[in-house]
Amino acid sequence: MAQEASSVRNARRAGMITTRGHTVRTGPELSSTPMVVRSREEEETVVTFPHLVWKEFLAGLAMMVFLLAVSVQINAPLLQPANTAVTPNPAKAPWYFLGLQELLERFPPVMAGVIFPGMVLVGMVLVPYLDRNPSRRPEDRKLAIGLFTVYVTMAVAFVIIGTVFRGPNFSWYWGQVLGHPGLNSKV
Amino acid sequence: MSSGSYEQNPIKAFASEVWGSVFRHGLPTTDKVAARTALTNFFLHIHPVRVKKSAIRVSYTLCLGGLSFFLFIALTISGLFLMFYYIPSVGQAYQSIKDIQYVATFGLVMRNIHRWAAHAMVITVWLHMARVFYQGAYKPPRQFNWVIGTALLLITLLLSFTGYLLPWDQLAVWAITVGTNLGKYGPIVGPVSRYIMLGGRNVGQSALTRFYVLHVIALPLIGFVLMVIHFWRVRKDGFTGGL
Repeated sequence: MAQEASSVRNARRAGMITTRGHTVRTGPELSSTPMVVRSREEEETVVTFPHLVWKEFLAGLAMMVFLLAVSVQINAPLLQPANTAVTPNPAKAPWYFLGLQELLERFPPVMAGVIFPGMVLVGMVLVPYLDRNPSRRPEDRKLAIGLFTVYVTMAVAFVIIGTVFRGPNFSWYWGQVLGHPGLNSKV
Repeated sequence: MSSGSYEQNPIKAFASEVWGSVFRHGLPTTDKVAARTALTNFFLHIHPVRVKKSAIRVSYTLCLGGLSFFLFIALTISGLFLMFYYIPSVGQAYQSIKDIQYVATFGLVMRNIHRWAAHAMVITVWLHMARVFYQGAYKPPRQFNWVIGTALLLITLLLSFTGYLLPWDQLAVWAITVGTNLGKYGPIVGPVSRYIMLGGRNVGQSALTRFYVLHVIALPLIGFVLMVIHFWRVRKDGFTGGL
């Protein structure tokens, strides 16, 4: 893609291409001189309808088929009626908060419950204002991409650990992976 | 309408007049017609008329934002259906879920769709954020749209979390008990925010009422408004396109 764009740019500089669809504004004063156009305008565009709308339609259709297929096969969980006298063991938060629960297992509450999530939340919101690097190319953004990848890896790993590898008393547990007769984590 | 249409079958002519009054343009045979169609159709109008070819490559966007919105719509429709049957009362909630599963026509599959779409939406919204980050698409002039996006991620999590309680089974009540306990470590606001959220010290009827109202009205409305702003800004700032 980048090669294609640069070859267009070179061809245009050499005066071989003077106009390219409607994206390039041509006038008598421009067509007589070799054009140097902003890279933004060199990019090829297509009409949204149908090109983008068609892709959106197909993506939606695929998701609908997927959802229906899953929903016909797998039932949403429904356990015994709520009973505040009986605490299941382990008691787990919804899976997307299990990273947080995992942190609380490993660090003192103030660190795990306040400082870490606070830093992630505030950091996340402020990302565009903290990152002063104007380039969008991955090779210029090694630090940003590195830091974000650390966050992504830890978030995914902690959620998987909390979901799969935490058993009774939220202690480490291989049963869900290896199978353990007589043990059922869903009380 | 061409003059020849008066000689047609009058019913056909009337039908074509009605059709033409709703859809002002035919199929996009040329770019010009396609552009006019996009401009004059309310639903297509949330898109720009033209987009960069590189910006709509599936390998670039992975369709994640669009899929998140699609899931939101699927959740709204299936959720509306569930609301016809669900009773947000400690004594009746569980039984009404049983009714949805075993009595209501297609109730089981509707509930399944709602549940799995909710999980899927948490994943697609989060992946959408990761995709935008890795492509640096939050850089000027799109900084504030990233902030709105993080708010939308938070709304998505809260929607999922509030919905989690509604079946009022052991999974629901204890997950919310543990989940709200996670929040109580905050200095001063921690315990207070938990109390406000649950409407008491334990997960009971007040918590169920609050979670229900947040889940079916407040959060979807806030989310919808934020989505409108999010899409509008995407449209105004243009698509970022290839790197």
